[in-house]
Amino acid sequence: MLTGNAAAAWGVRLAEVDYIPVYPVTPQTEIIETLAKWISDGDMDSKLVTMDSEHSMITAAGAASATGVRAFTATSSQGLMYGFEMLYTVAGWRVPLVMVNVSRGLSSPITLEPDHNDVLAARDSGFLQIHCETCQEVLDSLLMAYRLVEDEQVLLPVIVNMDGFYLSFTREPVEVPELETVRKFLPPYQPRHAFFKASQPMAQGVAVLGGSMYSYFKYQMHLASQNALNVYKEVCGKFEKEFGRNYDTIEGYMLEDAKYVLVMTNSFSTLGKAAVNKARERGIKAGLLRLRLIRPFPVEDITGALKGRRAVAVIDQNISIGKGGILHSEIASCLYNEKQRPHLLSFIGGLGGKNISPGEFEFIFDNMIKVRGVEGEGEKTSQLLYTETEWKEMARLKGIAGKG
Amino acid sequence: MLRLRFHGRGGQGVKVASRVLGTAAFLEGYYAQDFPLYGAERRGAPIAAFTRISEEPIMERGVISEPDIVIVMDKTLLYDPRIMPVSGLKKGGIVFINTPQSPEEARAEYKISGQIITLDITKICLDILERTILSSLAGAVASKIAGLREDSLKEAVEKVISEIVTDRVLIEKNIEASLYCFNAIPPVELKTAEVIQKGSGVITMPFETAGVSSPALNATGNTPLRRTGNWRVFRPVWNYDACTRCMICVARCPDGCILVNEDGFPYTDYDNCKGCLICVEECPTKTLEKIREVHAKKVIGK
Repeated sequence: MLTGNAAAAWGVRLAEVDYIPVYPVTPQTEIIETLAKWISDGDMDSKLVTMDSEHSMITAAGAASATGVRAFTATSSQGLMYGFEMLYTVAGWRVPLVMVNVSRGLSSPITLEPDHNDVLAARDSGFLQIHCETCQEVLDSLLMAYRLVEDEQVLLPVIVNMDGFYLSFTREPVEVPELETVRKFLPPYQPRHAFFKASQPMAQGVAVLGGSMYSYFKYQMHLASQNALNVYKEVCGKFEKEFGRNYDTIEGYMLEDAKYVLVMTNSFSTLGKAAVNKARERGIKAGLLRLRLIRPFPVEDITGALKGRRAVAVIDQNISIGKGGILHSEIASCLYNEKQRPHLLSFIGGLGGKNISPGEFEFIFDNMIKVRGVEGEGEKTSQLLYTETEWKEMARLKGIAGKG
Repeated sequence: MLRLRFHGRGGQGVKVASRVLGTAAFLEGYYAQDFPLYGAERRGAPIAAFTRISEEPIMERGVISEPDIVIVMDKTLLYDPRIMPVSGLKKGGIVFINTPQSPEEARAEYKISGQIITLDITKICLDILERTILSSLAGAVASKIAGLREDSLKEAVEKVISEIVTDRVLIEKNIEASLYCFNAIPPVELKTAEVIQKGSGVITMPFETAGVSSPALNATGNTPLRRTGNWRVFRPVWNYDACTRCMICVARCPDGCILVNEDGFPYTDYDNCKGCLICVEECPTKTLEKIREVHAKKVIGK
C-alpha cells in the first residue's frame, strides 16, 4: 500500500537518480520528504539539496542534467508557476530531466485540490508529459520516463503528472519492482552531448540573435518531441516485457464496440470507467479513452480510437478562460479532417478537485445520445459540470460572505 | 464494498488510523484504498480520512459521502455544524464514538439514529501509551467493526507504526493497545445496502457580477466566535494557594489564553485554551494541575 507520492519516491529510488534539488509545496512535499529520509538513512545514494525557490530548483535540476548526471525534481501548482521561466529554458538545453508535477488548482482563489491548469500551462514548453491514473502507474511512469527522455532521439525533459490528494495522498496496492529488474530495463545514463569531462570544455544554452537560428533550435525540439512517439512505443514494449504491465500512449476502456466515448485524463478516469460500467448496465454502448501521453500528442492513436464513433465527450479537468476545455480543442484538431468524425462535445468537470458524480456522467451520456444523427448540432461552448445542489450550497456560502 | 469514514483532529492520528485499517484489509486479501482529507495542516483542525475495502477492484476515488461505518475519534466534532460526522451514514450503518458514555447516553446526547458503539479509547491510550495519539486504537476499532481478523490487525499495526516510529517499546505498546480495543468491541453485524444515488441535476451556471463572484468576504469576521477550547483532552486547573503571580504561565501560553484578574492572579480563558498544558509544565510552584476534560465537569462543577 503506497500513496502516489511514495510511489513516485520509489520510482526515483529505483532509477538510481544522482541529484535531487527540492523545494516543498503541498501536495508534493511527501515525495521529497521520503527521498530525504532514505538518503539520510543510507538507503539511497543520491545528493539532495534544498533550494530557495522552484525557479532555482528547476535551474539546478536542469543544470545538473546538463553535466551528465541523472536528475530529478518535483513540484506542484504555484511552485510550477514560480519556476515557469526555467521550464522553457531547461527544455531548450535538451537535457533528460524528469520532474513530477502533483496537480493542484491555481490561485486565485487559492486552493489545494487538483485540476490540470497547472500542468497544462507547461504544455508548450518542450517538456514531454505523462499523466497517471493510479499509484502503480506513477512508479512505472518514472522508470519509463527516464528511459524515454535519455534516448538520443529525444533528449528533452519530461513531466510525470499525478493528481494531488486523489493520488498523491491516496494509498492503494503498488507492486515495487526489484532493483535488478529495473537495472535491466533502465541502464545508467550515458550522456552524449551534455556532460562534464576533463579537457573537454563546452558552453551550453548559448544565446542566439536572428530568427533563422532561433527557428532551427525550436523546431528541432519539436522534431525530438515527435520522435518521442515512436521511442515511447519501444519503451512501452520493453517495459511490458520486463514488468508485465502495458502503458500505451492512450488507454481504451470498453472501447471496442463503443458508440459513445468519454475522453478523460488522470485519476478521475477511474470514475469515468465506473460510469462506463453503469452506462453499459443501462444498455448504452459506452467506452472511455484515457489520454496518458499528452506531449507529444499522440494524434494518430487518438484519431484511430475516436473516428467512427457516434459521439465523443471530452471531460476537461481544466479551463482555458475565454475558450473552454483545453484538451477538447486539441482533440477537435485531431478529428477535423477525418471523414468519419464523431460529434464532439465539451464538458468541464472536477475543477479544484470537485467530484464528478454518477448523475453528472449520466447527464453527459444523455447529451451524447441526444446529439446523435443531427448534423452540425455539436456544442459550441464547454458545459460546466455543476449540480443544482452545489449551486444552492454556493448561494448559502455567498450569504455568509455578505453577498446576499 | 465497505466504506469507512474517520473523523478527528490534527495530531490524533486520523490518517494513520485509516492506514491501519487499509493495511489490515490488504493483508487479509482485500482490495483496499485509504485517503486523508485536510486543508492547511494544523494541530487540532478537523480532519477526515477514508478507507474503502472491497473484494473487487475499487473504481472510486476521493471522499466517501455515504459511509457504512463512521469512526468518531473526537466527540466534540459531533457538535460542529461544518463537520457533521454522521452525515450520509447509510441506513443500518454503524457509528463508533470515542467516549466514556454508554451507547444509550451518546444516542440521547447527539441524537444519532444509527447503531452506536462506544469505547473510551482516549483513556486506554493514556493508560497504555501515555499520550493521546489514537491511530492504532481507532484503526483497531474500525477493523473489528469491519469484520477483519485480529492477526491482520496486529500485522498492520506493526507495519504501519514502524514506518513512523523506530522505538520498539512504543510499537509494542501500540500493538497492545490496538488488540485491547479490538477485543473490547463486541462482534457486530453490519446491515447496509448499496445506495442508489439520487443525484442532483446539472445546471447552466448564470453570470454574476464581480461584486458577487470575486473571492472576497464582505461580512464581518467571525473568527472570535469560534471557541477553539472545545477539544481539550486535559484542562489546566488552578490552586492559587501556591501561586506567586510570577506570570511565567502568561508569558509561555502560546495562544494568549492566560489572562490576569483584578487581584493580579492569572486565570485560563477556557473558551479558547486548547489544553497544550505548557502552563502546567512551566509553573515553578505547581499551582496548576491537569484534569481530564471528561471528568472536569464533575470535579470543578462547571
